[in-house]
Amino acid sequence: MAVLNFIINNILTQASVIIGLIACLGLLLQKKPAGVVVSGTMKTMLGFLVLSAGSSVLQSALTFFGAAFNAAFGLESAVVASIESINGQAMDALGLGGDIAITLAGIFIVNIILARVTRFKYIFLTGQALLWEATLCVVFAYFLGLEGLPLIIAGSIVGGLFATLMPALAQPVVRQITGSDDIALGHFCTFGYMVTALVAKLTGNKEKSSEDIKLPKSLEFLQDTYLSVMVVMIPFYLLAAGFAGPQACAEYCGSTNYMVYAFLQAMQFVVGLYVLMTGVRMLLAEIVPAFQGISMKLVPNSKPALDCPVLFPYAPNAVILGFIFTTIGSLIGMLISPYFGAFVVPGVMSNFFAGGTAGIFANKMGGRRGVVIGCIVHGIFIMILPAMLSPMLADIGFQNVTCTDVDTIITSFFFVIIKGIAGIF
Amino acid sequence: MFLFGKKKSSAKEETVQKPEINTEELLQKAEELKAELDNALDKEQKAKLLTEIGSCYFQAEDTEQAIYYYEQSLEENKQLGRAYTDLLKLYNQKRQEAAEAKDDEKIKEYMDKVQGLMQLSKDVLRGKV
Repeated sequence: MAVLNFIINNILTQASVIIGLIACLGLLLQKKPAGVVVSGTMKTMLGFLVLSAGSSVLQSALTFFGAAFNAAFGLESAVVASIESINGQAMDALGLGGDIAITLAGIFIVNIILARVTRFKYIFLTGQALLWEATLCVVFAYFLGLEGLPLIIAGSIVGGLFATLMPALAQPVVRQITGSDDIALGHFCTFGYMVTALVAKLTGNKEKSSEDIKLPKSLEFLQDTYLSVMVVMIPFYLLAAGFAGPQACAEYCGSTNYMVYAFLQAMQFVVGLYVLMTGVRMLLAEIVPAFQGISMKLVPNSKPALDCPVLFPYAPNAVILGFIFTTIGSLIGMLISPYFGAFVVPGVMSNFFAGGTAGIFANKMGGRRGVVIGCIVHGIFIMILPAMLSPMLADIGFQNVTCTDVDTIITSFFFVIIKGIAGIF
Repeated sequence: MFLFGKKKSSAKEETVQKPEINTEELLQKAEELKAELDNALDKEQKAKLLTEIGSCYFQAEDTEQAIYYYEQSLEENKQLGRAYTDLLKLYNQKRQEAAEAKDDEKIKEYMDKVQGLMQLSKDVLRGKV
């Protein structure tokens, strides 16, 4: 009995163990050999610990940035749009790692059930996006006051509904883009894409496609993800420290020159992101293929909802234009974001993936003009929503960070509305 | 969706209205194109020919051959075009067949191939290839 109590109280409360057990279950269900089950379980646990290490580095770099930026511009809150960091802080600092991992598995189950019994045959296969969705579901179910099993059940149902219905929402446009009904889009930025498509439809001319013009074939400065994030973050850090001055930064930089310290902290931000994402990949490497295999067998006539790059070949020019005009829109959005709750620093990689995909949607509905107008609106939209969510994230305990993928933000608002309605009674 | 309801039907038409297929002609054309492969001046031209051959098999509904030639085409020249989009359809078709046959290995194989395609589109647009 003492041994059992020890296991329950000291081992099964550890997030890394819970995550490892979920991976272990997935591997056992796939009837993998014992060696693969053991190594896969251990690698998944290691992934969580790597993620936590990255999150700590990222959080310390964000704390400095927030303090310097607020001191420099007299703002109450400056946040960086980074869903990776939201996930890291929730799993590590807020101690919700175990709940998030179980909810992720719960979302898989709800998604499979919905795909089997309803006419929405979409199986959401983008692992990272599901992890972000599980994170926000748990965080806001927790915000609602739920804990333990009710929190996991609520998170799984809401997350599973979003995983099934978001591909369905985008499908009318995806069908037009791909010319068939074979695949769906599994990327939690759907509301942004649909807003873009609507604006493009109203303002554009679909006869004049972006694919008829000559453009460079690629965005070479995005070749290295982390280098491009660094190129964006360094000026923000230097600007914040420069305006804040040495005194405001002294608490953090000690004997190091405050501008040098700011430069190094911008680098640390990238280091944190790099380590965190390595952890996320390790953590999902065993869990997602298990889900893919199981879900495909249980719902053989399913439509796989895949990550956004699957649409890029249908309109590569629109991806490039979508990124450019979403970035312009996000800079406008950044300037007006303080009026909506917080000053938000845009994320370069989310602008590329979400912006590029929004470009494809806009081009399909409104051609080139649709891409320009639709994507500027998209850029503003994906900055205002995170700004509106920021005060709530700060209340929960997140420091200087906000979400990027808009469907996860809508999920959060959904929980907040439920809380509001529950409050009435 | 109320906004896009009309398009749904037109998209369906796109997929339903297939031109009449003359398999023999397509296979003959594929053979002719294969004969031209040795004369291809560069990788780009070879990839174009391989895509055309793949396309003939795709229209003739010879999935295995279509996959083979489209994959060869992407091997020669990594680019986003017909070889990519048709391969996506074919891999998905094969994945579905594997799922119906409950063949874990094949499901994984074709899901991995789809992942490979997505990585390719990311790499092409970010100038990595």
